[in-house]
Amino acid sequence: MKISKKIIDNLKKGGVDFYLSVPCKLLANMIDILENDKDVYYSAVPREEEGMGICAGAYLGNKFPCIMMQNTGIGNSVNAIVSLLQLYQMPVVFLISYRGTPGEPVGAQGGMAKITENILQTLRIPMLHCSSEKDLDRITTFSKHAKVVESPVAILCDFNLMKDDK
Amino acid sequence: MNRFELLNKIQNILKDNLVICNIGLPSQELYKINDQPNFFYMLGSMGLSSSIGLGLSLSQTKQVISIDGDGSVLMNMNTLATIGNRAPSNYTLLIIDNGSYGSTGDQRTFTDENTSLKDIALGAGCKKVIECSGEETLNELSKAIEDKNNSYVIISKINSGNVKIDPIPLNPITIRDRFRKFIGIVKYL
Repeated sequence: MKISKKIIDNLKKGGVDFYLSVPCKLLANMIDILENDKDVYYSAVPREEEGMGICAGAYLGNKFPCIMMQNTGIGNSVNAIVSLLQLYQMPVVFLISYRGTPGEPVGAQGGMAKITENILQTLRIPMLHCSSEKDLDRITTFSKHAKVVESPVAILCDFNLMKDDK
Repeated sequence: MNRFELLNKIQNILKDNLVICNIGLPSQELYKINDQPNFFYMLGSMGLSSSIGLGLSLSQTKQVISIDGDGSVLMNMNTLATIGNRAPSNYTLLIIDNGSYGSTGDQRTFTDENTSLKDIALGAGCKKVIECSGEETLNELSKAIEDKNNSYVIISKINSGNVKIDPIPLNPITIRDRFRKFIGIVKYL
């Protein structure tokens, strides 16, 4: 819970006040925290691409949105990212559980893991790769950076960083 | 009645509310009829008008109308479940259902065959779902906006057909900033 709490605290310090998620077991603690947080909006959504649209609307309405998802969700959302968030220069934080990284027990997750960073690089999305607790200290500044450059940004949280966060 | 005629008929309601307008001909026709700063024209991301409007209605208190099409809703049906569970009372989804993909050459959609968006919306959990003719749409939309306790999904059944029209000349940042200025967020314009 310590890691999850720190991630949400640092996002909130960065001004993020609107959260969506497509669930992942590595995000479960953060979802629990957000469901009990009266200071911010939180909802589950069925699909990541739709979540990109809801985040765009939330930004138009003066919220600073974050969508939490597995890295597979990036694959579901490429056109929405390019033709909506980037076209209109909308800051949104992607908080990504980086499935398929070392420690992952499900082999099939390896495919998207191999290309996740390449996709984000191709999309020119700034990345913060968190593999240790210390990396989480950069989340607040990195989130604020999304607003400064008016762009979506991606925070990748490794499997091994999240798996023991009981 | 086709979409251009419908948009003409409802333009006075639209101009008093925040409008998210679907990509392609719906936005181009709305722009030609009566361009307003409180109209957010989609230039990409087909399917997401309903979702963008939902996010906007959750984030501020003004009335929001998402103008969507049958083809676009079929592309993003999962968001009807989100609307059915999360839409606040300042949200109205207006689905202009002409049974065709108008912007791509009027190919038939499944609503012209077996699919009922009304049944799908009800099954997804939307409580106030109205299916009406183009002629009835102005009245149904007025009632939905006046009802401060419920969100609405209105399915306006009209004929296919388009008018010849130019692309929208506005760039995306202009659309974004004048829209946010109307809400009161952007101060520098």
